[in-house]
Amino acid sequence: MAKQTLPFSQRLFRALVRVLPFDFRTNYEGEMEGVFREQQREAEERGGVLGALKLWKETFVGIFTTAPREHWQILKSDCGYAFRMMQKNPGFTAVAILTLALGIGANTAIFSVVHSVLLQPLPYSQAQQLIFIRQQEKKLGIEDLSFSVKEIEDYRAQNRTLSGLVEYHAMSFTLFGHGDPERVRTGVVSANYFDLFGIQPLLGRTFLPEDDKLGAPPVLLLSYEYWKNNFGSDPGIVGKTFEMNDKVHTVVGVLPQVPQYPNENDVYMSTSACPFRSSKMHLEDRDMRMMKIFGRLKPGVTVAQASADAATIAAGLKVAYPKSYPENAGFTSAATPLQQDLTKDARPTLLLLLGAAAFVLLIACANVANLTLARMARRERELAVRSALGAGRSRILRQLLTESFLMAFAGGVLGLLLAYGSLTLLTDFVGRLTPRAREIRIDSEVLLFTLAAALGTSIIFGTLSAIFSRANLTSSLKDGSTGAGTGRQQNRVRSALIVCQIAFSFMLLIGAGLMMRSLFKMQQVNAGIVPERVLAMRTTFNWSKYTEADKTNLVVQKLLNRVKSEPGVLSAAISSRYPFEPEMITDGPESVSFQFQIEGRALESGQAPPVGTFAAVSPDYFKTLGIPLKGGRLLAETDGDKAPYVAVINEAAKRQFWPSEDPIGKRVSGDGGEHWVNIVGVVGDVREFGLDHAPAAEFYASQAQNAQPATLIVRTISEPRSMAQALTRAVHDVDPQTAVTHILTLEQARYESMASPRVTASLLGIFAGLALLIATAGIGGIMALMVSQRVREIGIRIALGARPASILQMVLGQGLLLAVLGIGIGIVGAMALAGLVKSLLFEVPPTDILTFSGVGLTLLTAAALASYLPARRAATVDPNVALRAD
Amino acid sequence: MTKRRETKSFLPLTPAMFHILLALADGEKHGYAILKEVARRTDDKVRLSAGTLYGNLARLESAGLIAESDRRPEVVLDDERRRYYLLTEFGREVAVAEAERMEEALGQARAKKLFRKPKLA
Repeated sequence: MAKQTLPFSQRLFRALVRVLPFDFRTNYEGEMEGVFREQQREAEERGGVLGALKLWKETFVGIFTTAPREHWQILKSDCGYAFRMMQKNPGFTAVAILTLALGIGANTAIFSVVHSVLLQPLPYSQAQQLIFIRQQEKKLGIEDLSFSVKEIEDYRAQNRTLSGLVEYHAMSFTLFGHGDPERVRTGVVSANYFDLFGIQPLLGRTFLPEDDKLGAPPVLLLSYEYWKNNFGSDPGIVGKTFEMNDKVHTVVGVLPQVPQYPNENDVYMSTSACPFRSSKMHLEDRDMRMMKIFGRLKPGVTVAQASADAATIAAGLKVAYPKSYPENAGFTSAATPLQQDLTKDARPTLLLLLGAAAFVLLIACANVANLTLARMARRERELAVRSALGAGRSRILRQLLTESFLMAFAGGVLGLLLAYGSLTLLTDFVGRLTPRAREIRIDSEVLLFTLAAALGTSIIFGTLSAIFSRANLTSSLKDGSTGAGTGRQQNRVRSALIVCQIAFSFMLLIGAGLMMRSLFKMQQVNAGIVPERVLAMRTTFNWSKYTEADKTNLVVQKLLNRVKSEPGVLSAAISSRYPFEPEMITDGPESVSFQFQIEGRALESGQAPPVGTFAAVSPDYFKTLGIPLKGGRLLAETDGDKAPYVAVINEAAKRQFWPSEDPIGKRVSGDGGEHWVNIVGVVGDVREFGLDHAPAAEFYASQAQNAQPATLIVRTISEPRSMAQALTRAVHDVDPQTAVTHILTLEQARYESMASPRVTASLLGIFAGLALLIATAGIGGIMALMVSQRVREIGIRIALGARPASILQMVLGQGLLLAVLGIGIGIVGAMALAGLVKSLLFEVPPTDILTFSGVGLTLLTAAALASYLPARRAATVDPNVALRAD
Repeated sequence: MTKRRETKSFLPLTPAMFHILLALADGEKHGYAILKEVARRTDDKVRLSAGTLYGNLARLESAGLIAESDRRPEVVLDDERRRYYLLTEFGREVAVAEAERMEEALGQARAKKLFRKPKLA
C-alpha cells in the first residue's frame, strides 16, 4: 500500500472523497475507489481523454451533491440524539443551561453597553470628524478650561484644520406663556451648531448666522421630547412666541429625535438671546470663560493635526495676552475625538465589567465541561459501545459538539432574555457615566455576539470534555467497574478545571471586594456637614424682575423670613450651590473656580494667580448645613451690599494660601483689584464635589454682596421631604413667578453622588457572587463524584478499621486542597490585574490585605461547606453494602 | 433499526434510486455491477457516479429497501472489497409501487393523447 505508487487520479479521487462525512467514508471509501477505478478504465477504453474528462465531471458533481445531504443527515440524527440525552438527564441539562445562560447573559448585557457606548460611532454624519477642543492649565491641574467669547473668536479665525467650529453652553431659564412659569434647560449655541453635527430640523429651520448678531430677534428651537411632551407634537408650533428673560422669543423650529450632546436640553437659543453671553462683560473680557467648543475636521485632517493646530493657537494667545495666560499655569490647548470625550468616564468601568463578565463565562464553561465530564463517566460505556460499533473518534467528537452547541444555544437564548431584562438597569447606570447611555440597545450585532459567545462556549466546553473523555473510550469496555480505573486521569482534569474556577472566582471576588471596601471607605469619609434633615430646592426667580441687587436682596430676605416662619423649620439659607449638588458632582470644582490676587503679594512675572472655588451664601448657610466655625466670624446680616465686601474661607484655603499666618483680615480681589474682599472667618472643610474629592479651597462670599440666589436650603425638625409642599407654597407666597425644581434632601444628594461607584460595586458583586456560586457547586459536585467512585475503596478502609472521622477529614482535605490551589493562582492573577482597578478605587490599595484575606476565607469556607456533604456521605459508607455494590 | 414506513412515503423515487432498485430486482449485485447494469439498460442515459451511487445505496440501505448480502459468489470471481447488495421485500414493494405510479401517469398521458403517434403493438 505504498502511497507513492498510487496514480495521480487515484490520489485526487481520495482527496475528493474527504468532503464526505467520516462514517460514510469508513463504510464506502474502498468500494468507491474500486468502482471509480473500473469506471476510469472503461472510460479510457471507450472514449479516450474526452471520456475521462466526462467521468471526472460526473464524479465531482456526484460527490459534491452527496456530501451536504450526508452531513445534514448526521446533524439531524445528532440533534435528535442530543435532545433525547438532554431529556434523559433533565437535572444536568437544567443546571448546565442555566449556568451558561448566566455567563452568556452577563456578557451579552455588558457587550450591548460596550457596543453602543464605546464601539458605535456617534449618530451624526461623519461623526469621526467631530472633535472637542479643550483649554488646559496643566500646571494648575485644570484639565478642562471653558472658553470666553474672545477666545472663541480667535480659534475660529486662526485654525487651519477645521471646516467648522461651534460653541455651546447650558443654562436654565424660566419660560412664560405656556401655563405655569416653567424652568427650561436651555442650550445656548452658535449658528450652524446643528449643521456641524449634520442634524436637519424636523420642522422649521435651525439657527442662521444672522441670529447670532447682537440685537437680533430672539429665536428658539425645541427639542423633540419637549415639543412632544409639552405641546402634544403641535405641528403649528413654528412661529409661536414665548417670554423668556423679559424678551419675546419666537420658535423657529423643532429638532428631530437625536441624542443631545453634551447635555439634554428642552430648548435651544441663539447666542445673542442669552442675556449672559451677550452681556458687555462676556463679550469683552477674555477671562470670562463659560463656553465649550466643538469642531469638524476638514477632510483628510487627523485629530493629532487639529490638536497641534489648537496648541499653536494657544501658544500665540499666550504671547499676545500674557496677563490672561500666565507662564507657569501651563496653558495649552488640545483636541480629542468627540466620541472619546463623551465616553471617557465610562470606558474604564465598562472595560472592567466586560472583563468580569468574560471571567464569569469562563467559569461557566469550566463548570459545564466538568458537569459534562461527570456525566460522561456514566456514559462511557455507551460511547465505548458506539465506538466499538464503528463510530469513529471524530464521529463521537462531532456528536458531543452537537450536544454542547445545543445546550449553549439554549443557554444563549435564555441569556439573551436575562440581558434584555437587565437593560433598563444598565442604561440607568451608564447614564451616570456618559450621555450615550440612551443609545444602548440589543441590535443585530449584539445578537451576533451572543451567537458567537454561545458557539465559542460550546466549542470550549465540548472540546474539553471530548478530549478528556476520548482517552478512556477504548479501555472502559474492558473495565468491569464504573470507570474506577480510568477515572483517575479524568478526575485530575476535573480537579484542574475546579482549580481554574476557584482562581477566576477569587479574582472576581477581589475586584468586587475592593470596590465595596472603597465604597465603604467613601461612606466613612467625614463630609464636613450634617446632612440629616436638610432639604435643598432650586428656586429660580424671574430674573428680568430682579435686575438690581437691592431688589434681589429684598426678595431673598422676604423669602427667608417667610420660610423660617414655617412650622418645623429650624433654619434656612439661600446659596449659589450646595454640597453634593448633582451638577457640581458632574462638573467638578472647575465649574465654580475663580482666579484671584492676594493683597500685598505681587505675582512674579509668569506666575499663575491663585485659584479658589466660589460660592455666594446667606449668613445661616453654615448653621443650616452644620459647618463648624474654626476661627474669626461667620457671615452676618450686616454684610449687606452697601457694607465692605467679606468672605469666609475653609481650612483647605487657609492651608493652601496662608499656611503659617492668620488669614483673618487679609484681603483678596477677583477682579484685578477693583474690589477687595475681606476674609472674616475660617470654617471646616466640606467635600462639596463628592466624597472622593479632597476639599477645594473655598471662598464663601456674602449672598447679599453677590446676588446669585439659586438654591433654598432648609433644615427641618422632622422628615424634610414631608415639608417640600409647604415650602414650595411659601416660595410662591413671596413671588408666584418663581420656579421651584430639583427638590432633594442632602442625604439623597450624598447617596446619589456615590451612584457610579456603588453600581460598579454592585455589578461586580453580582458577577462575583455568580462565580462563587458556580465554583462552589463545582467543588461539591466533583467531591460527590469522587466519593461515589471510591465507595468500594472507602468501604474497604472502613472494614479495615478506619474511623469515620478520618474518612471525613480525608474528603474535606481534598476539597480544601483544590480551594487552596485555586486561591494561590487567584492571588497571583489578582496581583497582576491590580493596575486595572486602581483608578476606580478610593483610599484602598489594589492589594488590600483585608480584602485578600476576607475573600480567601470566604472561598475556603464555601469549599469546606460544599465538600462537607459528600464527606459525610463517605464517612457513613457501610462496608457491607459498598463491597457488595458491584 | 429502521421502522417500516409506509411504502408511499418513499414515492416518487428519484430516478437514480429507482434504477438501482431495478438493477437489483433480478439478483444481488455489487456496486460496479449495479452501475453497469443501469447504464446498459438505459443506453447510457442514466450514468451514476461513484458518489451518487454510494450516497443512494447508503440511504436505501438505512431505509431498509436494500440490504447487504451475506452470500458471496465463487471465491475466484469475488473481490474482497466488494460488498453485494440485495433488494429486500420492502424494497420490492416500493419499486413496484413506483412502477405502478409511473404506469398510471403514463396511462393518463395516453388518454389525453399526449403522444402524437401512438405506437401500436
